Amino acid sequence: MKFDIIVIGGGLAGCSAADVLAEAGRKVALFSEGLSLHDASEGPASHKEQTRPPYAALSALAAKGVTVFRGDSIIKAELSEDGSLVTKVFSRNLGDEPLEAGAYVLATGKFFSRGIISNMEGMYEPVFDADVEFEADHSKWFSPDFFALQPYERFGVKTDAEGHVLKAGISVVNLYAAGQVLAGDPMSDSEIEASGKAAAQEVLKKL
Amino acid sequence: MQETSISTANLEQCLKCNLCTLVCPMLAVNEQYPGPKKAGPDGERYRIKDPEYYDYALKYCLNCKRCEVACPSGVKIGDMIQSARIRYGSQSKVRGLHGLRDWTLASTDFVGGIAASPIAPVANGVLRTGAAKAVLHGTLGVDKHRTFPKYSSKTFETWFRKEAQAGQEAFEKKVNFFHGCYANYNYPQLGKDFVKVVNAAGYGVSLLEREKCCGIALMSNGFAAKAARQGKVNLESFRKAEGPVLTVSSSCTHMMREEYPEVLGLPNEDVKDRIMLLTRWLYPRLMSGEIKLNFRKDFHMRVAYHTACHMQRMGWQQFTLEILRMIPGLELTLLEPNCCGISGTFGFKKENYPYSQKIGETLFQEIREAKAKAGDSAPFAVATECETCKWQIEMSTGIPVMNPVSIIAQALAE
Repeated sequence: MKFDIIVIGGGLAGCSAADVLAEAGRKVALFSEGLSLHDASEGPASHKEQTRPPYAALSALAAKGVTVFRGDSIIKAELSEDGSLVTKVFSRNLGDEPLEAGAYVLATGKFFSRGIISNMEGMYEPVFDADVEFEADHSKWFSPDFFALQPYERFGVKTDAEGHVLKAGISVVNLYAAGQVLAGDPMSDSEIEASGKAAAQEVLKKL
Repeated sequence: MQETSISTANLEQCLKCNLCTLVCPMLAVNEQYPGPKKAGPDGERYRIKDPEYYDYALKYCLNCKRCEVACPSGVKIGDMIQSARIRYGSQSKVRGLHGLRDWTLASTDFVGGIAASPIAPVANGVLRTGAAKAVLHGTLGVDKHRTFPKYSSKTFETWFRKEAQAGQEAFEKKVNFFHGCYANYNYPQLGKDFVKVVNAAGYGVSLLEREKCCGIALMSNGFAAKAARQGKVNLESFRKAEGPVLTVSSSCTHMMREEYPEVLGLPNEDVKDRIMLLTRWLYPRLMSGEIKLNFRKDFHMRVAYHTACHMQRMGWQQFTLEILRMIPGLELTLLEPNCCGISGTFGFKKENYPYSQKIGETLFQEIREAKAKAGDSAPFAVATECETCKWQIEMSTGIPVMNPVSIIAQALAE
């Protein structure tokens, strides 16, 4: 399947990026592993009384023409030989069907959403194996002060000056990152939203 | 550490976020149901300690898997609940007349084998009378609002062997067809439509050496051992057959791909990738140009696509939607993915009927609105891969529901 842009992640960052891209008339696919917390329902459980049903954000994107894959996630990517371009990605549900786009937005969140995985050996980004900024010395991941900003909260995916994701030190020029998956200080909801929009604007400069 | 302590259905990955609880269609209408989190991973921790903790309200689970679609951690909540019902719920097996009803509803092969015969017109007629419905409601507990799906006087298999099999020899390449009970006993036209589309694609159709009901109705009604026996027969047939095993029903497909290994304990890795819906197989071949379909120029239809629960769980609706969009003159709208409420045989039982209709109402309303918006200038139909969704939507809205395979077949140029 071919799209203009594939957004990976249906949280605040992914949804706001997809929204900007859809408004700009692009053919967008969005993969959302599960229901995102920001898209949970409000109001009593009976769906007649809810002030906002679950999936309202994804439904609104679908109404704008975004192809929404609920409960599916990108698990594998292929890159060009020089490593500067993502050529196709594959999802868990769509199996061997290649998914191609002009640009890809990585908005998979941090540890809680498994956008970054940590283990005893270190940290990695599971879809593209993008470069992750983290402290090699495990003992420096945490601060003994429980209430202080924990160093691990700043770990995340590395990008170049134009917002392209780095992999093995090379800029992948059609892969952008948005939201908490990025290295840097933890973001508020409005900062996550702004980050999604900014990534979409970068994409629109080229596509 | 964690690698060695992973339980079945990924129990330890549950973060207690409750997102599954928010999307459970049963919980929204029935306070007696504990909801997917409590019924699934929470309850499982207790049940492992002592089966006495098994809660009989788990019978309300629709097995729609919408909890699994919503789960951000990949916990197989629905599978866990199904497994618990099988493992711990056996003492609660319904006995007496309701037990007989459950067995009758679940035994699609047995009942279909008798009813889909020259007696079909009589059986269909009798089952449609008010008197028969009142008797079934009062004795067996089949809700009086329900109408049994019509049985065909000739099964699809009989038709195929007599009318179509010889013609398949002309094709060099072939696919295997798992027709399922609905196409065989109730609506052979769907099987005929499948043959028409596959032949138009340049492939012949073979039936499997042996085909049994996939077993989903048996599994849901407490007859798991029988479901597993039937599953084994099917998997054996798939192993003997070469090439893809194509289907038309989303629930049979999901059952054979996902629930055989996860719930019934039948390993299927060696054949799983070959079991798929026709549209899943067709789409990449249409895109690569290997297959070309010629559509009529004068086709006109407005279609609202309903993503059935198990279709949503497999995530394959896009293959169907993309093919439907290739048909000139077909105007497509996508309905919100809401459960229709019938859940196979669940909604046929009189004690479940009110829940069934309450759950479906959101979807029915959206369908009525879609039809009103579409107007009368072209035929309007709902498209879905699930036959029990079809019965439920047709009964509740009076609007025709078609399998996408039938729509593709109708749109083909002769």
